[in-house]
Amino acid sequence: MKWSQFFNTSIGKKLLVGATGLFLCSFVIVHLAGNFQLLYNDEGKAFNAYAQFMGHNSLIQFIAWGLKVVIILHALIALKLTFSNRAARPVKYAINPGNQTSSWFSRQMAIMGSILLIFIVIHLANFWGKFHYAEMPTRTYPGIEEPLKDLYALSYETFQNVWLVILYVIGMIGLSFHLIHGFKSAFQTFGLNHKKYNGLINFVGVWIFGILIPIGFALIPIVIYLKK
Amino acid sequence: MEHYNMNLTLKVWKQKNTNAQGGFETYAVKDISSEMSFLEMFDVLNEQLINEGKDPIAFDHDCREGICGMCSMHINGRAHGPWAGTTTCQLHMRAFKDGDTITVEPWRSDAFPVLRDLTVDRTAFDRIIEAGGYISVNTGNAQDANCLPVDKHKADLAFAAAACIGCGACVAACKNSSAMLFVSAKVSQLALLPQGEPERQTRVLNMVAQMDKEGFGSCTNTGACEAECPKEISLTNIARLNREFIGAGLSSEK
Repeated sequence: MKWSQFFNTSIGKKLLVGATGLFLCSFVIVHLAGNFQLLYNDEGKAFNAYAQFMGHNSLIQFIAWGLKVVIILHALIALKLTFSNRAARPVKYAINPGNQTSSWFSRQMAIMGSILLIFIVIHLANFWGKFHYAEMPTRTYPGIEEPLKDLYALSYETFQNVWLVILYVIGMIGLSFHLIHGFKSAFQTFGLNHKKYNGLINFVGVWIFGILIPIGFALIPIVIYLKK
Repeated sequence: MEHYNMNLTLKVWKQKNTNAQGGFETYAVKDISSEMSFLEMFDVLNEQLINEGKDPIAFDHDCREGICGMCSMHINGRAHGPWAGTTTCQLHMRAFKDGDTITVEPWRSDAFPVLRDLTVDRTAFDRIIEAGGYISVNTGNAQDANCLPVDKHKADLAFAAAACIGCGACVAACKNSSAMLFVSAKVSQLALLPQGEPERQTRVLNMVAQMDKEGFGSCTNTGACEAECPKEISLTNIARLNREFIGAGLSSEK
């Protein structure tokens, strides 16, 4: 079987979705750790210096563009699978089993993924677009020579809008529900379903990626909004 | 268990042939014994319909002892009805109460076209088996069975996978109409044993290719198949199928 045929099979496409998904899981950890610097009481020194580094280091920038490609690949292949899965049952059942035979989260992957994709586009427009392509006020800090783009102030300004705070919380609910099933599902797709590891994979998927990390992300806009 | 009789309302899918438009028909049945099987209840209904000069309901059945895999009925939203680990013929009327309304539908999948009423065409499964679900045995004297050492644990796993009766409940239960549980059982029962070794790679590649060709959906690991399988085939078989497929895809030269 050629590579082109391999990745065109249903399992091949799922392997791509799983691999890109796990890469994106590793990204959210880095992103959350960086974002927590927004909550320091240092008038943005640490966060703005970090943003300057992340926005200008060429290796980071290479990974950042790769990340966007990965998000698009993940979404496109998953959507393609979703549409062919729907087509595989042209006449629907009058009565469905609901949660009796499968978890609710496992059946909402396409919906939650779509919410997440819309959120990512809005999020990029709110911060990444402005940071790279718009005029940004700068700020100078003692001990740092060059003036830094004030992404910290932009975050505080953005999250004065309560509707944006709500939108970000909805985005993180989407992330939570997507990862509660998504993380462990990727391991099953790679063939890892083993008594010795299932407990750990389930715990990390549900509690760390599904609950702790989304709560961490959602807290940032909420805390900024309440700080004003 | 206490015996009781019940009156029921049945909503059953009626469809003349594959291309005809189908719809639900409502029937009433009286004095159904709690000790009858679900199919015996259908026999009573069909007798009644024949006596009234009406068209009886077409449904598949063969062994009526839970091993042939013919009795494909989606009952109140569940493949083979509400009990775990049972086929429709092993579902008994004590699962229902007097006055219940029971909705019965055929398996719904593009790969399993409805032939008539509740009978569907499952030959897509046969074509997947033909694509590689076998071992080639050369002619000549059979060698002593003990010449091939098999690990007991692996033999047990192969036996559990081989319990699959090809009934199609996994496809019926899956929101994507995926046949992964069936294919994984058929790949596993051979991949686990030395007899399956010679064709191990071509088997999994060809069976997965045929599965896709038949129009089954892909697996999203919801676990509905395992929950509905009358033989309780484990999801670990799907993980094994994925491993077999990855291994064969990475290393096969064809």
